[in-house]
Amino acid sequence: MVNKQALDQAAGYLREKMDKAPTIGLILGSGLGVLAEEIENSVKIPYNEIPNFPVSTVEGHAGQLVVGQLEGKQVVAMQGRFHFYEGYSMDVVTFPVRVMKEIGVKQVIVTNAAGGVNESFEAGNLMIICDHINNMNANPLIGPNDEAFGVRFPDMSNAYSKELSALAKQQASNLNIELQEGVYVGNSGPCYETPAEVRMIRKMGGDAVGMSTVPEVIVARHAGLEVLGISCISNMAAGILPQPLTHDEVIETTERVKSDFLSLVKSIVEKM
Amino acid sequence: MENMLDKIKQSATYLEGKLSTKPQIGLILGSGLGELADEIEDAVKIPYSDIPNFPVSTVEGHAGQLVIGTLHGKDVVAMQGRFHYYEGYTMQEVTFPVRVMKQIGVELMVVTNACGGMNKNFAPGDLMIITDQLNMTGDNPLIGANFEELGPRFPDMSSAYTTQYVDFVEQTASNLDINVQKGVYAGVTGPTYMSGAELVMLRNLGGDVVGMSTVPEVIVASHASMKVIGISCITDMAIGEDLKGITHEEVVEVANRTKPKFIKLVKEIVSTVQL
Repeated sequence: MVNKQALDQAAGYLREKMDKAPTIGLILGSGLGVLAEEIENSVKIPYNEIPNFPVSTVEGHAGQLVVGQLEGKQVVAMQGRFHFYEGYSMDVVTFPVRVMKEIGVKQVIVTNAAGGVNESFEAGNLMIICDHINNMNANPLIGPNDEAFGVRFPDMSNAYSKELSALAKQQASNLNIELQEGVYVGNSGPCYETPAEVRMIRKMGGDAVGMSTVPEVIVARHAGLEVLGISCISNMAAGILPQPLTHDEVIETTERVKSDFLSLVKSIVEKM
Repeated sequence: MENMLDKIKQSATYLEGKLSTKPQIGLILGSGLGELADEIEDAVKIPYSDIPNFPVSTVEGHAGQLVIGTLHGKDVVAMQGRFHYYEGYTMQEVTFPVRVMKQIGVELMVVTNACGGMNKNFAPGDLMIITDQLNMTGDNPLIGANFEELGPRFPDMSSAYTTQYVDFVEQTASNLDINVQKGVYAGVTGPTYMSGAELVMLRNLGGDVVGMSTVPEVIVASHASMKVIGISCITDMAIGEDLKGITHEEVVEVANRTKPKFIKLVKEIVSTVQL
């Protein structure tokens, strides 16, 4: 359940630090936090200074909010996010999304590094998330519902905005960036999937698999935010290529596609 | 969780005080298969209740002790009785013994279980080499803070069941004239057996057998960079479209009937495996 007092404290603290309310939120996944460096006139607020914010523990996630202008738009970026596998409750994982909503965000771009399940994908591809499958066996909305924050039974039929996806495709085409589209399956992790699990995910309809995004998008939709999801296919999922999976590969791939990712997201933000 | 490292070390130190050997092979013995531990020579038997931080097994047919000694000339540690998620233990408790085995020097984990056969080519009494697994428990023993001393934050599971040992066990079985199947183990929480619809779903998702153990232990063994051999004893058929009621007694009966060849196979594996 949303802790209204905790939310008010966090949002109040942030409002004092900002001149203008951001309307676009960016959640930056593993290796993609560099986008926050492009934000101009930025105010950086470490998570540990924000009342009631948890602190990110995973390597490669810096752990701060960066507020400022990107392509002339007022944005707030999460550089580092909270994962269910770190042991946080779903409420904690999604708390920053509630805070974003509270400080004025209307649209969020949720990004992640994901394993490619669709065999026509390659490591380094960018994928627009057209839909997701919650395979985490938990849901951030379990518990009493406060109607002030959203409806008891949120519709998920258009969780990922068709308009924003169309805009992303248009911008990618303008920039000559190849873009895949597919269904993101959210697993708890933290171990990578077994090859048998990857085949299962494919049968279930998944194109990519990762350990984030799904809870945040559920809460964003509950809160009435428009969502655009972009995965960086940082590696092919287990069993597809004859090699083990490592977090280093994830970071190396995101490093390699960084410039495409940056120009795509910036051009989308410009037109949002 | 914060003192998990201390707990592991404390349990390991206790065990090391009882041992003159340093077992490199760990055996986790499933429902009805615990008798294998009786074949261990010069055995030191340590009830779980005596080991600091160990949970205590509650299920019928699971004795609940570590048996440490020699099997076919190899130093082994066997879990006679294991901990199941359905008993109400956390995933960390279920897998704690695996952490302790690693700490006392175990490099190869031989995990066994009784399970239901979903693959129509299988029959009750078959043994199956586990080639891979589906974690359908809805939980994961690695959720929470990671201790780099124990393993990486994001462990690879692409060959959780050591590929070279799958071939080795197949060859070993063939040498003994024991027919073995190979397949994917789908691990569920239980304790209810699966409904027909659930079994059809699990089969469609790629499972060949279904059971209520093994998956958490193998995740932790992978995290700890241990090698793994998994062997299932198919005690009943679990064909969703043609489901006959089963009882735990029937499961134990088939497990008992299959025991001689199962014990023979595991002993031969222990005897000839190259670490």
